[in-house]
Amino acid sequence: MDQHGVEILLVEDNPNDAELTLRALKQRNLANQVRLCRDGAEAVDFFSDGAGPVPKVVLLDLKLPKVDGLEVLRRLKQDERTKAIPIVVLTSSREEPDIERAYALGANSYIVKPVDFDAFARAVSELGLYWLLLNHPPR
Amino acid sequence: MNWSIERKLPLLVSILLLGVAIVQLTIGYGEVRQASRALADKRLPLATKVLADLFQTGQGRARITALAKDPAITAFLGSHGRQGRDAALAAMHRITTDTATNAGLELRDFSGRLLLRTGRFMAADSVLVSPGKDSARYGPLVRQDTTLFIALAAATGVGDQRAGEHTGSTGGIVQQVTRVNLSKRTRSMLTGLAGGDVILLLGNATGDPWTDFAGIVPAPPANVRMSLTPVRYERGEMMRASAAPVPGTPWMVVAQLPSRLVAAPARSYLITMAPIALLIVLAGALLAWWGSRRLMTPLGVVARAAEAIAGGDLTQRVLVDRRDEIGRLATSFNTMAEQVSRSHERLESQVAQRTKALESTNAELEAFSYSVSHDLRAPLRAIHGFARILLEDHKAQLDPEPQRLLGIIDQNTRRMGQLIDDLLAFSRLGRTEITARQVDMQELARAAADEIRHAEAARNGTLSIEVGRLPPAHGDRALLRQVMSNLLQNAVKFTRERAEARVEVGSRPDGDSTVYFVKDNGAGFDPRYSAKLFGVFQRLHSTERFDGTGVGLAIVKRIIERHGGRVWAEGQVDQGATFSFTLPAKEL
Repeated sequence: MDQHGVEILLVEDNPNDAELTLRALKQRNLANQVRLCRDGAEAVDFFSDGAGPVPKVVLLDLKLPKVDGLEVLRRLKQDERTKAIPIVVLTSSREEPDIERAYALGANSYIVKPVDFDAFARAVSELGLYWLLLNHPPR
Repeated sequence: MNWSIERKLPLLVSILLLGVAIVQLTIGYGEVRQASRALADKRLPLATKVLADLFQTGQGRARITALAKDPAITAFLGSHGRQGRDAALAAMHRITTDTATNAGLELRDFSGRLLLRTGRFMAADSVLVSPGKDSARYGPLVRQDTTLFIALAAATGVGDQRAGEHTGSTGGIVQQVTRVNLSKRTRSMLTGLAGGDVILLLGNATGDPWTDFAGIVPAPPANVRMSLTPVRYERGEMMRASAAPVPGTPWMVVAQLPSRLVAAPARSYLITMAPIALLIVLAGALLAWWGSRRLMTPLGVVARAAEAIAGGDLTQRVLVDRRDEIGRLATSFNTMAEQVSRSHERLESQVAQRTKALESTNAELEAFSYSVSHDLRAPLRAIHGFARILLEDHKAQLDPEPQRLLGIIDQNTRRMGQLIDDLLAFSRLGRTEITARQVDMQELARAAADEIRHAEAARNGTLSIEVGRLPPAHGDRALLRQVMSNLLQNAVKFTRERAEARVEVGSRPDGDSTVYFVKDNGAGFDPRYSAKLFGVFQRLHSTERFDGTGVGLAIVKRIIERHGGRVWAEGQVDQGATFSFTLPAKEL
């Protein structure tokens, strides 16, 4: 996928969830400029060279192989170059400690993935719309 | 007063000793006093007797009697004073030179006219004694100014001279007048005879004059003069006195002792014994203090150690090197402290072990629910998601039967998701901490009711939710909100079949606390199963009739019980249900 067109960075290890997410985004015509990372390390690498494109939003799962979601979140929010990028935690966990830590590390939203596909699709597409179309990040 | 035994014991001993000393001194004083009075009572009559004997001078009387019969005197009188004057004077003179220097001799006729006189002084004329018949007789003491005279007279003359008869007979009176030598020396000499401290008095039995041999003194009162046994009377100070007559004279002697002197031995006994008694009391107090210290100091050590152990310092031991009961107490105390300390350590380590085990169990539980939350829902979401995709994207290629089957998959995965969510919420309740504060229950119930009315807007039939007066409660606001919300949802759900659903939220006082209740006119329940209502996944109605996972009331029960309150349900089939709960007045 062409890096220059990246608007959404989806960090998701579960291929099913990734497919469902992409499908929900596609319904809103938001899927063209999505870049998918299969684990935390990949997501970290995406930003590490510094020359890459800056996505408008990062959809981040918490439970990831290699480097977990909270660690990815911490690194992105600590880095001057990436800390302005909105990060939406999109996870199955509705455990209070996860929610607290995510917000403490600077997450911009915390969305619990519903089991109900309709609700899930609604949530994903709405947050995609919000962050891509309505939000104005600092330039 | 909260005094230690260490103080009380010496005090008690001192008081006891003091009491004994006081009793001892009182009795001793009384006895000594009585003894010295008895002694005085024995001494005084003795002194009077000695004095009386001293004055009973038979010799003087014999001499005057003899003089009265002297031929020279009778001859002189017989001649009516005309002859033998010199011889008579010589006879008289013999006697005056023989006897005391301060005596004078007089020869008078019966009319009292002085015929002859020898001696160194002139007695007053008034000194006239009625003479004895056969022998010389002492007259009463006569006072003239500060001088005291003793007169001794005898009748003389031939034949039947009659005293008092002023005949021209040849009789007369021989009278010796002695001046009593009153001086301090005389007095000390006489009192010396009686033992020094006794005051001796001499005087007439009938009254004045009286003398203490140094001067003239007032006569003692008659009762003293006449009493033959010792009596008390006041003369300047209290006196103990004893009187006795001087035989052959009209005189009395009195020996007296000031009561002060009588009591002196008793007083000196007191003066000697009181300091000794005080010393004994002091020594006893000191001894008792020392003894109680010796007894109580090790006890104090044990007591302090026990207090320290009670205060939590289990390392305290006592060091008492004694073999008596206190030593045994200390030894058993140390043994006991050792045991307490050991069992305490054992307990501590057990608690630590259990805590560790609990913590690890808790951690496991947390990991478990985390993985349930995360890992169980992901595949479920995939099943649901792809089943929906199949239905949406490939509906045209599917016969009605596969479509129906996919619909069942859809329904059940949805339900499974709800179950997982409820179960997680329920298990999370056991772990969340309760932050209790004042909660406005009325406002809380109204908000929950509004929310539910909003959600139920599309329902068939009317729904009225009435919120009555609800006093504030003490608890966790968010959790109580969930309780109210769950109960209202429950009520609304089970009244769904009613055309006019009525739900009432109210309260009533119950002793110190308040009972809050949610009442509906819905399907109700069989009271036989009321206990099952609050169990997890327990349902009394079929899922087709009323949806739900059976967790809502279990959550209510858990929240109320974590607040320390009580929850219960009343109802009948098709006659509605009332769910009530109480919360403790203040602290959880």
